[in-house]
Amino acid sequence: MNYKNINKVALVAILLIAFGLPLVIRSATYLHILVLLFFYAYLTTSWNLVGGFAGVLPLGHAAFVGIGAYTSTILFLQYGISPWIGMLVGGVLATIAGILIGLPTFKMRGAYFALATIAFAEGFRVIVENIDYIGPFKINGPRGLQIPPLDIGLANFMFASKEPYYYIILIMLVAVVVLTYVISRSKLGYYLNAGGEEPEAAMALGVNVARAKLIAMAMSSFLTAMAGTFYAQFTLYIHPKSIISLDLSFEIAFIALIGGRGSIAGPILGALLLRPVGDFSRIYFGDTLPGMHLIIFGLVLILVMHYQPRGLQEPLTRLYNNLIRRITHNTTGR
Amino acid sequence: MVLLEVRGMTKEFGGLRAIDSLDLTIEKGQIFGLIGPNGAGKSTAFNCIAGAFAPTAGVITFNNETINGQKPWNLCKKGLARTFQIVKPFASKSVLYNVMVASFATTNSRQVAEEKAIKVLESLNFADKKDILSSNLTIADRKRLEIARALATEPKLLLLDEVMAGLRPNEVDEMVEVLKKIREQGTTIFVIEHIMRAIMALSDRIVVIQFGKKIAEGTPKEIANNENVIKAYLGEDYVAA
Repeated sequence: MNYKNINKVALVAILLIAFGLPLVIRSATYLHILVLLFFYAYLTTSWNLVGGFAGVLPLGHAAFVGIGAYTSTILFLQYGISPWIGMLVGGVLATIAGILIGLPTFKMRGAYFALATIAFAEGFRVIVENIDYIGPFKINGPRGLQIPPLDIGLANFMFASKEPYYYIILIMLVAVVVLTYVISRSKLGYYLNAGGEEPEAAMALGVNVARAKLIAMAMSSFLTAMAGTFYAQFTLYIHPKSIISLDLSFEIAFIALIGGRGSIAGPILGALLLRPVGDFSRIYFGDTLPGMHLIIFGLVLILVMHYQPRGLQEPLTRLYNNLIRRITHNTTGR
Repeated sequence: MVLLEVRGMTKEFGGLRAIDSLDLTIEKGQIFGLIGPNGAGKSTAFNCIAGAFAPTAGVITFNNETINGQKPWNLCKKGLARTFQIVKPFASKSVLYNVMVASFATTNSRQVAEEKAIKVLESLNFADKKDILSSNLTIADRKRLEIARALATEPKLLLLDEVMAGLRPNEVDEMVEVLKKIREQGTTIFVIEHIMRAIMALSDRIVVIQFGKKIAEGTPKEIANNENVIKAYLGEDYVAA
């Protein structure tokens, strides 16, 4: 068995385990935790298209989650349009927002870009929190929107149990990971990496850096908004604090930085590590020390940045490769 | 056939005139040298021609097309490539990745880009280092990588900004051979260089600038004996009476 075959086997095994888990785990609580884990892995992978490949640090992706969630929910509550369609409409609106944010901000470097994206996202949250109607659309200010679970079923993206949500978010995650893989090996991926590392050199080599970043931003915001719709349908209740908060934007960045920005496995590894930490700290410290999870994330981030500045994916990939080499060596040596 | 023609090019930064109505004409197939003391405006001239800055005044014609103020990535696709005096490798990537970014300029296919990149690396005797991280290269190899990337865009005109600075004498000789080979393959070369031994050996024609103005133009031999040039480099006292 050669290296590539082992990789394929490992991949299939991981997928089988992921799809088989709900058969083993019957507890709704654990499934809920897993759904949110995949949700964050999906969000971070989408974020990674801009934050990882394009080499900038967007800290306002919660705004796109919010646009997705509010769009599909309003369309469903006021017009009875299926959230599946609302998901795409939200994606398109978020793409427009992403391009509008990207046009003026992609010229900024480092912290200035990060601050600008925070400003946009916070501005959006404040607006949503303080008005009840945008034109004919009821957004209900800080009270948020509740989706009454009346017509349960696939058409309305509503289910009585956790399993369907689990499979939907898992499929979304697999799709976005595959997309990232394809992009990373394409011209766009090369251009994003080059433009992120040395914009001047990239431009001289024929790369329209601003255009590549805008394309990445458009895709990233579209995908992020889809997750917003998922979240709205999963919890059936959205309000500005829950989905447009800075906490959410920061958590995405934490996961990416700790797992490894710009890599494909990084966001998944980051979510696998941080989400359980976050969930259990909320379970055990939720009453006494709310926000404890962010302190823990901060500590982990400091440690990881100090010892593995390119994220945990790097040592883990090395470990995996060594392991594979040993296995292939043993079998061929026999 | 004229490949690049610069007429009256001027670049001002605020009150400072870095380039003062510079004229030059590069024929296809030439190796054309640009020299001058530090701060003369050589790199600024390159930046204007390659589109990094728009010149304040003047006309730049490349391949019978006016290219003033066009963006660098468009110029690159039209066949004008450059290297940077301060090398700018994509440091976290391999040599091959670096060159592939450039070879994507003329194709959308990853496979074609990879084949082209390897071909370029082979022509520079660099293929054995294709998997090395570019941040781990020596300075000589980084300069070579700059050239490899520029070549991979398939340029008609290659602008080389001090690709020999910091190299050891034997590395300079190697680089001279590399540049001659590139010219033989049909690429016109416009080179800024401080190492006189190299530029005198390479160039068909040399322009000397000082304080942004052209002070001499001619064959290497003419330049070496030009009074203005000797004055600019060594001072008044050294001009033979």
